[in-house]
Amino acid sequence: MAEAELAERRHEAAYNDRVMFGFWVYLMTDLLMFTVLFAVYAVLHGNTAGGPAGRELFSQPLALAETLILLTSSFTAGLGMIAARRGRKQQVLLWFGITFALGLAFLSLELREFAEFVREGHTLSTSAFLSSFFVLVGTHGLHITSGLLWMAATLFFVVKRGLNAPLVRKLTLLSLFWHFLDIVWIFIFTVVYLMAFV
Amino acid sequence: MSSTEQTTKREHGTTASYIAGFVLSVAFTIIPYYLVTRHVVSGLPLLATILGFAVLQMIVQIVFFLHLGREKSPHWQLSFFVATAGIIFVVVAGSLWIMHNLHANMAAEASKKLVNGEAIYQIGGEKTGACQEARANHQVIIRDGSVSPLHIEAQLCDTLTLINEDDMARVIAFGPHDHHATYAGEAELVLGKGRGKTITLSESGTYRFHDHLHEQTAGIFTVAPQ
Repeated sequence: MAEAELAERRHEAAYNDRVMFGFWVYLMTDLLMFTVLFAVYAVLHGNTAGGPAGRELFSQPLALAETLILLTSSFTAGLGMIAARRGRKQQVLLWFGITFALGLAFLSLELREFAEFVREGHTLSTSAFLSSFFVLVGTHGLHITSGLLWMAATLFFVVKRGLNAPLVRKLTLLSLFWHFLDIVWIFIFTVVYLMAFV
Repeated sequence: MSSTEQTTKREHGTTASYIAGFVLSVAFTIIPYYLVTRHVVSGLPLLATILGFAVLQMIVQIVFFLHLGREKSPHWQLSFFVATAGIIFVVVAGSLWIMHNLHANMAAEASKKLVNGEAIYQIGGEKTGACQEARANHQVIIRDGSVSPLHIEAQLCDTLTLINEDDMARVIAFGPHDHHATYAGEAELVLGKGRGKTITLSESGTYRFHDHLHEQTAGIFTVAPQ
């Protein structure tokens, strides 16, 4: 391998490390925001102000379905990343396509749940419990939405330009973001949906 | 295999490690779900168990999906994660601790007042709301320093008329003496000689009222929620 090429590679690896760390710092600060929302929920979840409590509202099978869908999408994103590092464009499109579809399925289930609550008259302003619930779960849903938009844009460029180094880097950050949202959801599943029935 | 490929596998994982992570995280989802829906255990042990599974799940995902800690030294990502975990602990545990204490102290304070007979100024039933229309009227007559009847029982949105038939003005306050509370927005009612005043009972609960100048002149009214 020529000296120049080696230097080039080392330079690129160092750049990747910096980008990764920068994105990691963003993820950790985002995690702090979720932490505060979790703390608010933990403190306020009993304040139902005469409105319904979690156990009267939540559907356990729905929460399980959402969790399994998101877990699977995190897995397929991981497989997509392996394909991306091997330079297999078709596999990348397949795995991230599945990830996108699962993300969309998750989001539609969540929106249907929200719509049902609102239709029954249980809104953001019904009680402190519902305010903290909608804000916590809604913030996660907003992250999923932006992740889906980001994924669609990146896949569009993969189709158009092929798997070049900057796109592989973007896919790496995207999958990191997606795994992160999966971890946050695990705690929503446990703290919001399961603990309501304890 | 070149050394770069080995580094890639170490830092980014293989198909096998993703499958292992996926299987473990599905298991750590199903088990707590089963425990909660089938009521296998309950109460604090259940709570601790499902939180334990959430933490296990998080560790699995961090190791198998995020590949944290497998970067080259110095471990900046890991350090930043540990620092964040510390802040998370302080925020969550601190909020719960403070709010729990606050709640417990307020409850203890309320029952202490009750036990000490510092008269009732509010027990239970906190439903407050604007009353659209007045309903039944109740009358309390103060004559020769005594209140009759001593205890009025009313419904929410009824009205209460206090009539002073004594030859002196009275200042009626709510709550125990020297610890006045407002009722329905009224801090005190001034009743001139032979005068009366009517208030709407827009807050449910049991309340005490008394003449601020002659505290033995006192009565109680209970407002039942609708």
